[in-house]
Amino acid sequence: MHTRYMRILKFDELELASRRAFFCVSDADLQRLAGLRPFAERHTKEVVDAFYELLLGHPETAKFFPDELAVKHVKKLQSEYFLQLFEGRCDLQYVENRLRVGAAHERIGLSPQWYLGAYRRYLEVLRGCLFADYGPAEAVAHLESITRLVFFDMSVAIDTYIAANVDTIGRHQLAIRELSTPVIRVHERILLMPLVGTIDSMRANQIMDTLLLRVVEEQARHVIVDIAGVPVVDTKVADSLIKTTAAVRMLGTQVIVTGISAPIARTLVQLGVDVSTMHTRARLQEGIELALEMSGKTIVDRARVGS
Amino acid sequence: MISVVAQYKLDVRCEDDVVVVRRKARQLAQLRRLDPFATAAITTAVSELSRNVLVHGRGGIALLEEVSDGTRYGIRATFEDQGPGIDNLERALAGGYSTTRTMGLGLSGSRRLVDRFDIQTTVGKGTMIRVEKWQSA
Amino acid sequence: MTGNIPILKIGRTLLVSIQVELSDAVAESLQNDVLSAIERSDAKGLVVDISGFDTVDTYVARILADMAKMARLMGADTVISGMRPEVAATLVRMGYTMDEVRFALNLDEALALLGHVLAK
Repeated sequence: MHTRYMRILKFDELELASRRAFFCVSDADLQRLAGLRPFAERHTKEVVDAFYELLLGHPETAKFFPDELAVKHVKKLQSEYFLQLFEGRCDLQYVENRLRVGAAHERIGLSPQWYLGAYRRYLEVLRGCLFADYGPAEAVAHLESITRLVFFDMSVAIDTYIAANVDTIGRHQLAIRELSTPVIRVHERILLMPLVGTIDSMRANQIMDTLLLRVVEEQARHVIVDIAGVPVVDTKVADSLIKTTAAVRMLGTQVIVTGISAPIARTLVQLGVDVSTMHTRARLQEGIELALEMSGKTIVDRARVGS
Repeated sequence: MISVVAQYKLDVRCEDDVVVVRRKARQLAQLRRLDPFATAAITTAVSELSRNVLVHGRGGIALLEEVSDGTRYGIRATFEDQGPGIDNLERALAGGYSTTRTMGLGLSGSRRLVDRFDIQTTVGKGTMIRVEKWQSA
Repeated sequence: MTGNIPILKIGRTLLVSIQVELSDAVAESLQNDVLSAIERSDAKGLVVDISGFDTVDTYVARILADMAKMARLMGADTVISGMRPEVAATLVRMGYTMDEVRFALNLDEALALLGHVLAK
């Protein structure tokens, strides 16, 4: 998931460099952090314990850690995460690691507000440790380097949530698109595309492309486009209908337009649409019958034939 | 903000150049994963517009670019000639207007195929046309 | 002139299958070659298969449409077969619908449309 997020976020060397510059994460900072490694190892337990004290003290976050075992597990992960701050690196591998953790939190539904609050706690505890171990000037300098990388981490964490949302929206859009342009095979080499709802220019394009692909896929001889479910047929809709009909014809397939109500018929004529070359029917059933008839088939009422 | 990932400058001096430019446009569109419809659209527009450079502009250059807006990739094509320019731009863009052997849908047709279409023309000086086609959302 | 675009004859139908990218010059000479082939033969039908085409601009489209019209004048009905979805969409979006030409999904159907039943 996190590699996909890297892609969605376009997190490459260029992005990394510009973000590091913005958060002032310099090589000197990274060197300093690497030098603080022994300090960090000394205080890992203290920092991580304080961190989970906060999380377990609030019902909204405590619910993510149901038992002792779960807490023990996340504490171990958190210790690793914490120590990674002091490895003296901030490259793509580092970002990928951060995204992986962010993605895990996003997946379990831990929202960014708790994430950010927890980071504050991190810095608070670290400040205490730094001032206890070092002189004030040194402690301030160390804290500054830590703050830079922690804020960098926060930006990556927020990005994870954004990437997850972008990903979800993308998948929904795809689903909506497929739902809005269904193509049904009603009989051998006869397709039906029932259009429902408003048709804007983007959807008109999708309708044409989808239909053309399906016609070739199915080698359909006839296509019925039913527009009974389209509330308003204006110039644009009529135009897209004619274009779609023309394009399908160029593949070698005939289009039958059905669902033409009295108001739609009136509109089409008033708009000056040339309907002489179009096969049209008022009702879908008649369209299907016409398609069958053109393919040399008929629907027979057996009761009547028998009598 | 749109950034240019790569660019290719090609001459349009003869009919074979039209094929070369068109082929390059197709290759870039496929590289940048435009879907088959968008790929056909930009390739065809590039074909029409390079022929336009050749026939109306007496030759010129085509600049093909891979571009990115941060979330999507696209192909941008710019055509420049020092030909006579277009004196009735409105009519040329409306389609069905042709002074030579092309059928008059070159400009208007290309415009309908792309996501962005810019044109600057000065009579006696030449014409610059720039088009863009992007990955669909 | 058309080099690797062969013009085949099946019964009284001429068959041209274009599998290469057409430059303007090649398209024009193909038109000439096809028309003289009709003149030389007793062909009553012409099938142009363009399934190998991934780009057809209005120039090439017009050459094909003109070829169909000229063939008709010479007594040969023309069917264009195998147009790809993206090519059809592109031509229609440009406003070019080739109204005067007949189309078929594939070669078989094109031949059937011309009243051809291939011996099995």
